[in-house]
Amino acid sequence: MPPQANCALPAGFQLDQYRIDRQLSLGGFSIVYLAHDEAGTPVAIKEYLPNSLALRKDGEIMPQVTEEHQAAFRYGMKCFFEEGRSLAKLMHPNVVRVLNFFRANGTVYMVMQFERGRTLHDFIQKHRGDIREAFIRTAFARLLNGLREVHAHKLLHLDIKPSNIYLRTDGTPVLLDFGASRQTLMNDQPILKPMYTPGFASPEQYDRRDQLGPWSDIYSVGASLYTCIIGSAPPRADERVKQDTLQPLAKTQSDRFSPQLLELIDWCLKLDPFARPQSVYTLQKALVHKSEVETAPHTPWFTDLGSRLKAFIGRG
Amino acid sequence: MRFTIYQESRIGQRQSNQDRIAYCYSRDSLLMVVADGMGGHLHGELAAHIAAQYITHAFQREAQPALHDPALFLSRALTGAHHAILDDTLDRHLQEAPRTTIVACVVQDGTAYWAHAGDSRLYLLRRGRIHTRTRDHSRVQMLMDQGLLSAHDAANHPGRNRIYSCLGGTHSPQIEYSPRMDLLDGDTFVLCSDGVWGPLGDEALLVGLVDTPLNVAVPRLMSQAEARAGETADNLSMVAMTWHDDLSTAGPDVISTQTMALNHFTTEIDLSSRSIGQLVDLDEDEIERAIREINAAIHKFDKR
Repeated sequence: MPPQANCALPAGFQLDQYRIDRQLSLGGFSIVYLAHDEAGTPVAIKEYLPNSLALRKDGEIMPQVTEEHQAAFRYGMKCFFEEGRSLAKLMHPNVVRVLNFFRANGTVYMVMQFERGRTLHDFIQKHRGDIREAFIRTAFARLLNGLREVHAHKLLHLDIKPSNIYLRTDGTPVLLDFGASRQTLMNDQPILKPMYTPGFASPEQYDRRDQLGPWSDIYSVGASLYTCIIGSAPPRADERVKQDTLQPLAKTQSDRFSPQLLELIDWCLKLDPFARPQSVYTLQKALVHKSEVETAPHTPWFTDLGSRLKAFIGRG
Repeated sequence: MRFTIYQESRIGQRQSNQDRIAYCYSRDSLLMVVADGMGGHLHGELAAHIAAQYITHAFQREAQPALHDPALFLSRALTGAHHAILDDTLDRHLQEAPRTTIVACVVQDGTAYWAHAGDSRLYLLRRGRIHTRTRDHSRVQMLMDQGLLSAHDAANHPGRNRIYSCLGGTHSPQIEYSPRMDLLDGDTFVLCSDGVWGPLGDEALLVGLVDTPLNVAVPRLMSQAEARAGETADNLSMVAMTWHDDLSTAGPDVISTQTMALNHFTTEIDLSSRSIGQLVDLDEDEIERAIREINAAIHKFDKR
């Protein structure tokens, strides 16, 4: 039986201290709404509502959970808490901020800062084949600041893809949706299968979950970079393991992008987890390396000397 | 040799247990090891695993039934473990060698020898007091030694986990060796990771172990440390051993090695990282508690 789609809460619905405006997205595990708090500040609210376990019919508020699915529903709730816990620990300009967490309607809700802008996915669709290297380098270098913070807290994101990368109107990126990180803890659940997005998930996410590490997120970053260049996702990693049809970008795209960037992306997309950059920092360093050389204005030597002298004197 | 020994390792609130602990004894010699893998998910665990395994194997090779030279053994085993980690790094084509702390102790002929690198500790408790303990190879300890930091400030210092010596990694380890220590009846050794001593502190550790059987004291102390650390509890590991004179009255849990065959070893290695993934039903209280905890974590940031 295919899972039925759940109905969203209606516009204008008063949910705790928030008023629902509209549905932003619908996933297999949750619904995200745009809402406003009492002060009129827009927020994004994520409602825990796994399609396969709970059903909300049109016109109803409380989702129905059958007796046989109760345990799994509660278990999934625990995973939803894990996401909340992960995000609550993080405070970084490039990671989505969680503002509140509450219980209502027989389920739980996570309130997040609402960001204006669009997803990298939409951006790629619109500018297909016309994204500049400088943009890619800058946006991803900043995004990686956020990912470093995530890894520093010993968390993995495990679902990085262009539709989970948000570009604010000022161009700065935000990493969204930590729903998949829940599966790092437990992967032997019959009902809530680990989720991954074909094309962006690393090969170890399919069958060697004991090998998950920062390098798994790095694969997904590589796949997202690849999508910026090519306009579509790379072949699925589980297919690549059987027969690798991925053409190295360094061979096919060298007329439009610098070899250093293309080689970097190919490096992230290595099937062997240990052949990829092992830390986000390594990747970030390589990502900003070239652009510094190319774009940094040449400083006249005397200005440089002057500032160095100043620093030297200041230290004494 | 006669002694009582107990060891335990817990995952705390982390996603994996990167600590590895082991003890191993022959008729005439006893080895205890705690290794605390650092950072980087899979990798730290790998380093701790290799170190604990390498040192235990070396002991089994050489303690037949006594080590020729315990101090030399420690020096060779720890340095060997460091190189084993580096070799494994090459085999796996890792970019950087994973790292682990180490503390290892050998007891032979009524004398103890130990060595450490990093901030996993060894305590020797004697007559209800801390007779000696290892100095952490951390910046915080250095600042304390120079009188620039009080013990209280050190316990809350943001950089208290930063250590400058360990096995693996890019730098050669600075391994510190103890002088020989002749043991007295009733002496207790504790080897533990920072997940234990961090939340507890010296005093609580001492109080918890004095006049309490190890199989009661160790689990109780671990639970205390876990509770104090709360949501941020690191992996916790502890190996504790109480030494008995050959003449003292034997309790029921005392191990006597006198009757062991010359080439026999008993080894207890906690090398498996036990996962915690069973299907547990959440009850109402747990849901409420989880929501409270998450909101507390959110609002901690608001105050900054």
